Amino acid sequence: MTSVAEEIGDRIVGILPRLRRFARSLSRNQHDADDLTQLVVERALRNQEQFREGANFAGWMYGIMKNAWIDDRRARGRRAEVALPEDSGEHPAVTPDDANTSLWAVSEAMGKLPEEQRLAVALVLVEGMSYKEAAALLEVPIGTLTSRLARGRTALAAALGDPP
Amino acid sequence: MNYDDETLMSYADGELDEARRAEIAAAIERDPELARRVAKHRALRAEVSAAFSSVLSRPMPERLVRAAQGEAGKNDSAPASRRGTVVQFPGRASRAPATSWRAREWTAMAASLALGALISWKLFAPDPALIIPKAGELVASGALATALDRQLGSKQTGSEPVLIGLTFRTQDGHYCRSYSLAHVATAGLACRVGGDWRVVTTAAAANEGSDVHQAASPSPAVLHAIEARISGDALDAAGEENARNTGWNPEYGRR
Repeated sequence: MTSVAEEIGDRIVGILPRLRRFARSLSRNQHDADDLTQLVVERALRNQEQFREGANFAGWMYGIMKNAWIDDRRARGRRAEVALPEDSGEHPAVTPDDANTSLWAVSEAMGKLPEEQRLAVALVLVEGMSYKEAAALLEVPIGTLTSRLARGRTALAAALGDPP
Repeated sequence: MNYDDETLMSYADGELDEARRAEIAAAIERDPELARRVAKHRALRAEVSAAFSSVLSRPMPERLVRAAQGEAGKNDSAPASRRGTVVQFPGRASRAPATSWRAREWTAMAASLALGALISWKLFAPDPALIIPKAGELVASGALATALDRQLGSKQTGSEPVLIGLTFRTQDGHYCRSYSLAHVATAGLACRVGGDWRVVTTAAAANEGSDVHQAASPSPAVLHAIEARISGDALDAAGEENARNTGWNPEYGRR
């Protein structure tokens, strides 16, 4: 392993907790989230020459995760047309890790949002990005991000049973 | 005057420019219904943020740390064989079950991590909830609250798990402090209101990596939040110490 590879490995280890959280906010359960995180880590290492030094490293990793998640959902959609998902029944939606009921309830509500709203909510409300940062990552204008975020929040509040 | 939901949401998130922010703030003073809608946005944000924050303090699966160090594909590329093993981060190892990691690998990993990150994991382990929801607001808790209460930005060594950036006062005298959390590369701004440190903004830190001094620089979102609130200059070392020693009293030094 070269020293450059070690350095990028260290940087990834440093942001792993946040990557896992982002993945968890996009996934049904912690197991799927960790699968997604591992895929993203491996993809980042394979494509590390694409990272421009001086750019925001966490932002680069989040971008890889966003793309990987969208790819995975498209692939699952295609598989579901011909067969059951390969891990059907193997990993129930509620794992012991999710005994935290607040996490479980919010995660279930997030899972009902359309893809684009879920990404907006995850980046701004969970990861604490500014609208500008989230819009840049999703490659949409700020107005589009704002509108997706507002619709996502309205749907979340309804799913969580908050009064209008 | 009525405001649409997107405007109130942007206000609640601290995303409006100063003129617009002041306009909405004034409208809220007059209209309890607007205040209620803004509070709802804040409460939902607090709920969602708090729900997922528990993930940050969960034991890190060994397979993810191995993958980050480029080892996953070599030894066990079959997905099924990667599953299930959990490893505690260094400093929390006493509770960890036996794993396949040998001492040599632990040593190599420990050496490869910044010392600050190691200290952070150790200090944060007993009390992972650094930000908790309280009455519709997010407030600092645990090690974050302690650092905001006591730590002086001017006397930091750079290896503290919480780094204090700027300390300043708002127009109404309240104290606000920017901070960064080295181990999760997160920065934020907290303001002292009624005995709590209200977290008004959190964001990915502008710079993460081994340079702890860089990690203290606020991200654009935090800078924006500071600019929206600061009255006059940030406090110098003496002003910061004085503010701490007088208990962050918003009435202190005001006529």
